[in-house]
Amino acid sequence: MMVFSSDEPKFPTKKLFEKTTHLMHDGLNARAFGEFPKPEALGDARWTDDLILATWFMAETGEVPENFNYMTGKSGGGFDRLRFKFLAEEQWLEHGEHLDTRLDLNRRDDGRQQLTPDLPIYGGGMSYGSVSLNVMLSRARNSVKWNTYMSTGEGGYPEELYQYKENIITQVATGYFGVEERSIKASPIIEFKYAQGAKPGLGGHLLAAKSGGDVAKLRGSVPFVSLFSPFPFHSTYSVEDHMKHIDWVQTINPEALIAVKVSTPKDVDMVAVGSYYAGAHIIHLDGSYGGTGAAPEIAKKNIAMPIELAVPKVHKFLIKEGVRENVTLIASGGVRTADDVAKVIALGADGVVFGTSDLVAMGCTRCANCEGGPSGRGCPWGLTTTDVELQEWLQPDWAEKRLDNYYIAVQWRLRDIMRKLGLTHISELRGRTDLLRYVSGDES
Amino acid sequence: MPPLNPKAILDARRRLTRSLPKIEMNDEDAAEGGCGVIGLACEIPVAGRHLHDSLAQMRNRGNGKGGGVAMVGLDPAHFSTTAEVLENSFLVAIAYVDGAHRAAVEEKYIHSAYEVDHIHEVPTMENWEEELSALEVRPPDVVCYFVHPKASGLEAMVAESGLSPNDFKDDDAMAQEYVFRNTHRLNVEFYARNGRADAFVLSHGRDMLILKIVGYAEDVIKYYHLDDVTAHVWIGHHRYPTRGRITHPGGAHPFGQGIDVALVHNGDFSNYVSVTDYLAQRGMEPLFFTDTEVAALAFDLHHRVYGYPMEYLIESLAPTSELDFVMLPEEKQQIYLQIQQTHIHGSPDGPWFFIIAQAQAKGHHRLIGITDTSMLRPQVFSYQRGEVGIAFCASEKQVIDAVLNSLASEDKRFWRHCDKYWNARGGSYTDGGAFLLDVVKQDDGTFALSMSDKFGRTVNTSPEGDYSLVSAALDSGAELPFSANPDDIYQHAVESLQTMGWGEALAMVSEIAGECSRRDAVKILQRLLDRRYPTGTLRRSRWLDIVEHALISVLMSSTSAPCGDFVGQKTLGHRPKPVKPGQAIVVDARPYPIEGVESLARELVALHGEGWRHFHIINCRGHRFIGNGMGEDTGDVSIDVYQSAGDYLASGNDGMTIHMHGNGQDQIAQIHKRGTTVVHGDVGQCYGYGAKGGRLFILGNAAGRPMINSVGGPKLVVNGTALDYLAESFMAGDPLDKSNPGGFVIINGIEFSAKGEITELETPYPGGNLFSLSSGGAIYVRDPHHRLSSSQLNGGEFCDLGEEDWALVEDMLVENQQHFGIPLARLLTVDGEMWAPSAVYRKIIPLKNKALSVETTWAGEHR
Repeated sequence: MMVFSSDEPKFPTKKLFEKTTHLMHDGLNARAFGEFPKPEALGDARWTDDLILATWFMAETGEVPENFNYMTGKSGGGFDRLRFKFLAEEQWLEHGEHLDTRLDLNRRDDGRQQLTPDLPIYGGGMSYGSVSLNVMLSRARNSVKWNTYMSTGEGGYPEELYQYKENIITQVATGYFGVEERSIKASPIIEFKYAQGAKPGLGGHLLAAKSGGDVAKLRGSVPFVSLFSPFPFHSTYSVEDHMKHIDWVQTINPEALIAVKVSTPKDVDMVAVGSYYAGAHIIHLDGSYGGTGAAPEIAKKNIAMPIELAVPKVHKFLIKEGVRENVTLIASGGVRTADDVAKVIALGADGVVFGTSDLVAMGCTRCANCEGGPSGRGCPWGLTTTDVELQEWLQPDWAEKRLDNYYIAVQWRLRDIMRKLGLTHISELRGRTDLLRYVSGDES
Repeated sequence: MPPLNPKAILDARRRLTRSLPKIEMNDEDAAEGGCGVIGLACEIPVAGRHLHDSLAQMRNRGNGKGGGVAMVGLDPAHFSTTAEVLENSFLVAIAYVDGAHRAAVEEKYIHSAYEVDHIHEVPTMENWEEELSALEVRPPDVVCYFVHPKASGLEAMVAESGLSPNDFKDDDAMAQEYVFRNTHRLNVEFYARNGRADAFVLSHGRDMLILKIVGYAEDVIKYYHLDDVTAHVWIGHHRYPTRGRITHPGGAHPFGQGIDVALVHNGDFSNYVSVTDYLAQRGMEPLFFTDTEVAALAFDLHHRVYGYPMEYLIESLAPTSELDFVMLPEEKQQIYLQIQQTHIHGSPDGPWFFIIAQAQAKGHHRLIGITDTSMLRPQVFSYQRGEVGIAFCASEKQVIDAVLNSLASEDKRFWRHCDKYWNARGGSYTDGGAFLLDVVKQDDGTFALSMSDKFGRTVNTSPEGDYSLVSAALDSGAELPFSANPDDIYQHAVESLQTMGWGEALAMVSEIAGECSRRDAVKILQRLLDRRYPTGTLRRSRWLDIVEHALISVLMSSTSAPCGDFVGQKTLGHRPKPVKPGQAIVVDARPYPIEGVESLARELVALHGEGWRHFHIINCRGHRFIGNGMGEDTGDVSIDVYQSAGDYLASGNDGMTIHMHGNGQDQIAQIHKRGTTVVHGDVGQCYGYGAKGGRLFILGNAAGRPMINSVGGPKLVVNGTALDYLAESFMAGDPLDKSNPGGFVIINGIEFSAKGEITELETPYPGGNLFSLSSGGAIYVRDPHHRLSSSQLNGGEFCDLGEEDWALVEDMLVENQQHFGIPLARLLTVDGEMWAPSAVYRKIIPLKNKALSVETTWAGEHR
């Protein structure tokens, strides 16, 4: 079953592959188009069955669905209790390309390049090993299309990604897996990952079965031995060390923008402002509720501060310090939909990072079986796996199209929100909590 | 002498705190931060200007939002007072952020509380806005009040507080508590209440003073005209608060809450709230809301109220744990356990390094350096013992050398190398992670420096060897064989040195520099600088200073007179082209910033782009990232680095050969991929973090956390030892796998005597965390007497050393011999006899835990 030689895999055969993927895609579509009733076990309160099916619909058609709620979940809190205060219908603007959804990533005015993705969204780090190379390639190609970026996560920079290097963010995280001068030199953005909202204070743990073959080779480890990323940077126990970190990558690549990804502890505002003064262009706050099924449930739901609380806290603090206009604030951790994107921007962020949403667009069912049960082979849909057989179920040509369609629908909805609020540039929405309202009880 | 009565004192403090308005922390007050620190203690008074360069070179550890100095052992003339007043009166230094409040402060808290013996206004720089470009906020006016408590004030304290003279061991102790309480009241009213920050007490003690500003520490020296002001003990501190809008220096270091004490700190506590609660239970309330303030309060509490000896005080701050605790004598274990159980909530948790200056008693000045149990902040200790003794503790070696450079340029009793540099082992049974540097006045009026560790054991700071230079002789008499190869000349020089005085030795160095070709001279002098050998009757550190100076001069001469082998960079950014392969460029680091786009490291990248492949970097002053940014496939590049290189040397090396001729700093060889990196000395923290490959050699010791998270196939020889956490989470494959060989670390556990002889350390590895959580690779440790036990492993196990293993080890040790002159045969010699390799070296491999075994079996079946 496991293939270690460089021989072509004998299995799956072309015929089997075509049959299986055809059935899988049909299945996604049949449900997204309402041909079958909603599966009873699909989704949870945060990612409801409606949201998942809506995302599949958008990924197939590039349009928002009529039959599913594609805007909010049923978590009973956070984004799901926020609504927009839309203008009266006669004041709505025309929908169209004049509604600008672009995001400036460099606000430091330091002579470095300006990077302006078409959407206020870029792809969060999911490492080679935690997801398949095909997933990475699909996201990378979609990033090229949308003039945006995708983080490598902490599993190294696979050779196949270099062709898209203008759109790849190298992540430097606590284990330094795959971080080398070549990858730092190649990247327009270097991302320091200090913590993840899904598991702050915990390190990464790539199970043995997922760290075989090419994964181990890229990381330089023993095949099929569990790999740990420590929870701290052992070289960074102070903000002065953090500045040294930033100075270090800038010695290697003076042009790159610096993103600092942190979780959302109580003093997240201090962390953010410290990162800014240390030289960060992008402060990326990763709140709780993000993370795949591989992150421990108890950590995802109990440690970090929800992003809906962290973003306004940091936004206000940066304003108070007088540096808000000099730094890009990015939010992630449970940002699922275009509506969530707009809401978190209204709370004070400049843009967001997508992780799970990308996976759902590519067919993730949120079954939380990312590690693949006892076999440890990983995701049965070929997403969070590097199993040579399973990863074939997801092919970049198909997945790239799915992501593109999904982003088209997200952009459409973002513009829809903007026009109903009378805004022509997404940046005008930032910090406009006055355009939000809180709903309670049944209304949510 | 009545016993101490801490209960009465703390009860009184509780009443005091209750009687004052409650101070709530607001957002404005909070600021976390990192720092850069240096402290020194010297037998002669040292002028402030000698700290200037040192602090300027450490700016990158602060951000200009807080700087300060502390001085102990002052000169009365600088305060226009008498020695008697200086020794006997409390020096209460008050910072007036707003000078308008001076009259009110003096009326309420000086004249009504104290008999005033003398008032001194600290002079300030008037045109600071032009002179001190980094200074954005006007520093406070500082007035020094030399006072002693009014009798009526003491009576009032007794009446209102419930304290009686019987609660104190003597009148002085009662006076100290009086001063402490008066200061607290003043700080509440004029600083903390309603966040007004108009005035506060900088320090209150005898013969000691703290000054601090919103700015860099060297600007304190300039602003308050301290260039010529002297002290026996100095601390300098750069603060790096995370916030930018800081308008008053209350949060800057040092903190002077303790009587007679100044405390600085690098790091953050994660249990600030817990320590605050601990203090609140004892009637104390922080007013400045930084973790350093509560540390200062806790120190004062333990020292002055509980009367703990220094050893117990240090134990309460940095508890001994794990294996180190077990290694303590039983009676110590019992006491330490009590201390830990009683005071754990007041014990700062997290990364910190404290430097504390203390006026102990008349003519007794003390400096203390303490590192946290896990050694999470950088720290270096050192001393130089010439005619004048001086000792240091600091964030990095280069800032110590900067002070010595400055001193040596004015005073021939100093030279530019310490006799010894080392790192403390936090919370350990070996040195306790703390050293006390005491300068004590002798009967003849001079001062004597001594040094002791946490346990009170004296550190021998008097190495052998003559340090009194004389003029160079006309001829060394060594008759060096100049036509021979450099190795032979080196050997001959070492042999000749054994019988030389300074006159001949200096002449010999001149002869090498003058008579040999530049290429040979560099080789010989490099070797004289790098190798460990007996230096005859001469003091080794002073000899190294001479050799290094000669070597730098030879290299520098290639600036005005380039040759086929060496070309010196003439000016900043001068980038000639090499005229022949193998030609090296000599770069003087001094004009280049330590980091940033204009830095030395970037200049080297630019020179590499011009075709240069061989580099000699001289006059390093903490320059960071040397060798970084060179990119892939740099197998044809060599870099030789001299003096004090900064952090991240050789990080990301992808083929270069890098020699550090002396001690290295922190984070060397991070993500090292290929090539060879040789450090002819010790290395600092976090060596080889995430290393992926290459051949690595360290002559001396590695500080904490070397080779963490290494993968791939890095190979390292440490000839000394590592302080702790060596090769944690090591994942570097299997060294014996022929097709894809993994990595390993060899620990030799040796040191060199003053005579240059190899001796065995007491244990090759003193820590309790060797190879923790490892999943790949191996450790080979020279441990013929089986001093290591499996209790030191946490995820590893001992196994037999096979022939294949020895082939790997031998290969590295052969190269080790070439770099350091440590004979392989000597390493295999135990108690005078040659032993079999498998009896000398032990192998440690990752423990196959149950879960991993299942995984491995599963993987094996599917191979």
